Amino acid sequence: MNPLYARRRRKSAIAMMLCVGATVFGLTWLVLILATLFWNGLAGFTLDVFTQMTPPPNAQDGGLLNAIVGSLILTGLGIAVGAPIGVLAGTFMAEYGRYSKLTSIIRFINDILLSAPSIIIGLFVYGAVVVPMGGFSGLAGAIALAVIALPVVVRTTEDMLLLVPIQLREAAAALGMPRSYVIKRVTWQAARTGLVTGLLLAVARISGETAPLLFTALSNQFWSVDLLKTMANLPVTINNFINNPDPNWKRLAWSGALIITMAVLALNILARSLSARSQSK
Amino acid sequence: MTEHTVRAFDRELELLGRKISEMGGIAEKMLSESIEALISLNVDEANAIIATDLRLDVLQREIEEEAVHIIARRQPLGPDLREIIGAMRISGDLERVGDLAKNIAKRTVALADDQRLPRAMIGLRHMGQLAAMQLKDVLDAYGQGDVERADSVWRRDAEIDALEDSVFRDLLTFMMEDPRNISSCTHLLFCSKNVERAGDHATNIAETVHYIVTGETLPVDRPKTSESGRWIADR
Amino acid sequence: MNDLSITEPATKIAVRNLHFYYGGGKPALKNINLSLGANQVTAFIGPSGCGKSTLLRVLNRMYDLYPNQRAEGEVLLDGENILSPKQDLNLLRARIGMVFQKPTPFPMTIYENIAFCIRLYEKLPKSELDGRVEKALRSAALWDEVKDKLNVSGLSLSGGQQQRLCIARTVAIKPEVILFDEPCSALDPISTAKIEELIDELSESYTIAIVTHNMQQAARVSDMTAFMYLGELIEFNETTKMFTSPAQQRTQDYITGRFG
Repeated sequence: MNPLYARRRRKSAIAMMLCVGATVFGLTWLVLILATLFWNGLAGFTLDVFTQMTPPPNAQDGGLLNAIVGSLILTGLGIAVGAPIGVLAGTFMAEYGRYSKLTSIIRFINDILLSAPSIIIGLFVYGAVVVPMGGFSGLAGAIALAVIALPVVVRTTEDMLLLVPIQLREAAAALGMPRSYVIKRVTWQAARTGLVTGLLLAVARISGETAPLLFTALSNQFWSVDLLKTMANLPVTINNFINNPDPNWKRLAWSGALIITMAVLALNILARSLSARSQSK
Repeated sequence: MTEHTVRAFDRELELLGRKISEMGGIAEKMLSESIEALISLNVDEANAIIATDLRLDVLQREIEEEAVHIIARRQPLGPDLREIIGAMRISGDLERVGDLAKNIAKRTVALADDQRLPRAMIGLRHMGQLAAMQLKDVLDAYGQGDVERADSVWRRDAEIDALEDSVFRDLLTFMMEDPRNISSCTHLLFCSKNVERAGDHATNIAETVHYIVTGETLPVDRPKTSESGRWIADR
Repeated sequence: MNDLSITEPATKIAVRNLHFYYGGGKPALKNINLSLGANQVTAFIGPSGCGKSTLLRVLNRMYDLYPNQRAEGEVLLDGENILSPKQDLNLLRARIGMVFQKPTPFPMTIYENIAFCIRLYEKLPKSELDGRVEKALRSAALWDEVKDKLNVSGLSLSGGQQQRLCIARTVAIKPEVILFDEPCSALDPISTAKIEELIDELSESYTIAIVTHNMQQAARVSDMTAFMYLGELIEFNETTKMFTSPAQQRTQDYITGRFG
């Protein structure tokens, strides 16, 4: 065999081994994390988790009902506020302001916001909402989550709309369609699955956020759906329970972690299957 | 002209042009030799001419086939298209010239025993030379893409027509003098008609050359003054 | 075909001293002057980047979608300058339809693809709308193929059918002029032939301009042909003349494949 070729083959084999090694290394930790989570989470997993309130310390029973409901409310509210703003802003960037300087500035700032540590956002909302209102509240939590969801939605909306072929817009414009019609009836429709995927990813992102909620919604050991009071939620509850020596709390913390993980996983799978369906079309 | 991007196309066109010039050479030679054979009543030569015609027919078929292939494969446009259509037309004309020369040769064989040939032979010879020269000229014009030369061939056809006229009168007189001349003179009349037709084909080729080079067609009514046609019509 | 020179068709669009710029620098179109005859098919040919598509996009002011692109000179549609800033673009584009290189059905049903476009301009009762949709599909020679699946997504059709759907959509809003920007370059020969047949039929009622890379296609479908090169109009001639004996050397080199 040609020595030059033989050397190349050796190099290629080494490079491949390194790649496989890195992949195995990364996956190993992921598998370990998931295994630990399932092991500990399933150990104390009962129906009570979904029906009982969070227990006081040193109790033997109790569940996570108030935290689950609180998380659903906070996440739902966060998306309800963040998504429309995000979709509209993303639409502006991809459609009306595609060639303007403003768009690149917005995109730059948005990217910073996207990668900002969530604790900073929590602090910001603490200063902007919690302090003036005189106390922690579910509302502040929802606002913090909205601020976190916003850049994700802006980014995916813009990206998805940019993926819509320019010819489709031209074809619509060539029929004499006004801009708003083109966006509403053509480009949004064409990017629909992408937009929904973006929203789902944003939901997944905020549903596990802990840090911003520590400064805003805090937590609540009891049932409360009052937005102006502190509100229980899964991430903070997990955070509180896991650091406590009480075995009952530890058990519930693991269960909560499992619930969040499964929810996020489900959202991701849903998003994947949606985008796969749109690609096969 | 610069080369085609697809150079095989150039080679195909060149081959087509070469075949046309080969045909032209053969047709031209057949025409002038058939006249010489007729004047000298050389039966051997006449038979040789008859045999040559086959090659001309084969060449014409080849050219037509190749032209069709080029059209199918290359979809020629503009000057290329004219070139190919022109080649088809010219090969047809040349093939006809060969047939006419062959016909003269056949009549030469038929006339061989007859010793009483009229002085009209002089005019016929002149006509034949003129037609052969026209053919040569127009083929040169084709080879060089020379419109001027093709046009002058086109205009000169009237001369052959005028000569045919006088040959016609001579033969007619000869026939009236002695009915025994009628048979040979009729052959000669056909020969003169053949030569005149060969001249017509030369002008056809001139028209084709004009079209190939300029893309325009010459007027339909070419300068033609066949007195004999009129003369017969008047009777 | 020969009587073109005898009955000179009325001018539908007249382009006068047109220059076009993609931003600063050199013009993409230089001093274009030509007229599109009413109910005629005018083809634009030339190598890539010669400006033929750019010219087409000036005719319906498609370039207006993009910043920094500007046209100077005049484009007269029935004598009115459509380059004037006062021109309402949506109304203009309703009069001058366009079919693109890549079929661009909208992400909706076949029926909606057309009905939606009609509803942009007219408010019709359902039965009348159905009739108009059928008529548009028929005039694009698509009706028989889709009449049983009008509620299927337009994206499910084949490339050739999608392109005919786009033509149907364009015809549905009753334009006066239809611009075709390389309508067959993504299609197979059979679909191409169908589109060409359609163009031939449409030329009875519409003024048509078509940009094509395929010279044989230009030769097949058009009455007049314009050859463009480096942003200039080199030759504008009757199609038959253009493809047998073009007047300009550059045209001749291009159509015989002797370019560059």
